Amino acid sequence: MTKRSGVLLFATALLTFGATTAMSHHAFSPVYDDQRVITVTGVVTQFKFVNPHAMMFMDVTDNSGKVAKWTVEFAGRLNLSNVGWTEQSIKSGERVTVTGNPTHTGSDRMFFRKLVHADGRELLPAAPQRENTLEEERRQRARERDARQQK
Amino acid sequence: MPEPASLTCIMHPTNKRQSMNTIRSVVLVAFIISICASARAQSAVKKFEGMWSDPPTTITGDFCASYCTDAGIDRLNALMDDPANDARPLAQLRTDASDYSRDKYLLPKLTDATRKTYPLDPADDPSFLRCEPYGFARQFIARHQLQIREVSKDRLEMRYGEWDARRSIHMDGRKRPLNEPPSRLGYSVGHWEGEALVIETSGIRGDISPWRTMHSDQLHVIERYTRSKDGKALTLAATMEDPATLREPLVIKHIWGWAPDQVIATYDQCEIPKEFKRGTR
Repeated sequence: MTKRSGVLLFATALLTFGATTAMSHHAFSPVYDDQRVITVTGVVTQFKFVNPHAMMFMDVTDNSGKVAKWTVEFAGRLNLSNVGWTEQSIKSGERVTVTGNPTHTGSDRMFFRKLVHADGRELLPAAPQRENTLEEERRQRARERDARQQK
Repeated sequence: MPEPASLTCIMHPTNKRQSMNTIRSVVLVAFIISICASARAQSAVKKFEGMWSDPPTTITGDFCASYCTDAGIDRLNALMDDPANDARPLAQLRTDASDYSRDKYLLPKLTDATRKTYPLDPADDPSFLRCEPYGFARQFIARHQLQIREVSKDRLEMRYGEWDARRSIHMDGRKRPLNEPPSRLGYSVGHWEGEALVIETSGIRGDISPWRTMHSDQLHVIERYTRSKDGKALTLAATMEDPATLREPLVIKHIWGWAPDQVIATYDQCEIPKEFKRGTR
């Protein structure tokens, strides 16, 4: 935990993210631990908006000034472009805070769950409105069911 | 030597004219039928051509974004119809329905030998270990982009965002050549049934199935694609038979959504994993 300042490690089981992990084409579980999440803050050195997985590289500096080279792996461009991401979604040189699943080995790498830009804007893997739309459809179904039962 | 009766008949001047008229009529009718069939096929293919991607934002579409079964859909509907589940998150109900589909529909269809290998260790997946593209059984239901294009009147092309894979569908009524060796994406022949596109694929090299077991090169798949009335969804129902690994055929589904603005980007940055762990689920 004291290894790097700027690295906030939540080593607790995290079912909110973990339960919905969906790695479409490349195996997720052999590399990443879906029961834990970590958060790191650093400066982006490169964002590659590519397939099969987008990648971000960032410098994370600890209290002593030592710089660790972190790698953040994302879903692929084919997936992220569906929810509005572009090559400009993350820019080199910007300071970001990223939350994700760590590797089993504890290396300087994670699988993306959430990114917060310096101005507070958030990037998420899926458009929140999609889940909201699904929940609304479900509520509508429940209303129709209840109305049928009352007749 | 007397002429055969049929030949004598044809050669009689009056009958000859009648026969010629009959032949002309038959040729004309055949021509018209051929034109009509071709027009129908042209009309049908136009309903499928173009770019498809993630399914429309509906509960069923979301549930079938990877693959689903009717057993799973029915279970999900039953769970949502039960007021006792109203407070449970939708994600939980989806998981319950997927588990039900797996336990009650998919797994009982596996042969004993295949069941013993279920589920394959994800760390043994050659797509993960060596960046090898998917075999047919995972490719044809891969998520995200699917572009359908009529290359010629005898051939369709299906191009997928995942792995940027392409497969040809022969629409000229041919059969798979007997000497065609099994390949990664198999050999596909298709035809129209009304406005449904039906594709039969065989000659598929043994590979990983969608349900995380191996299938054999005896896998035979009949895909049936239909477009929704509003044009926004493309539904695939695939009947899969493999006597070496399945006790009986099974049917899986996949749904895409109409996505004319999407493009398929290059797929050339696959990274061989440097660190991984075996035995995870």
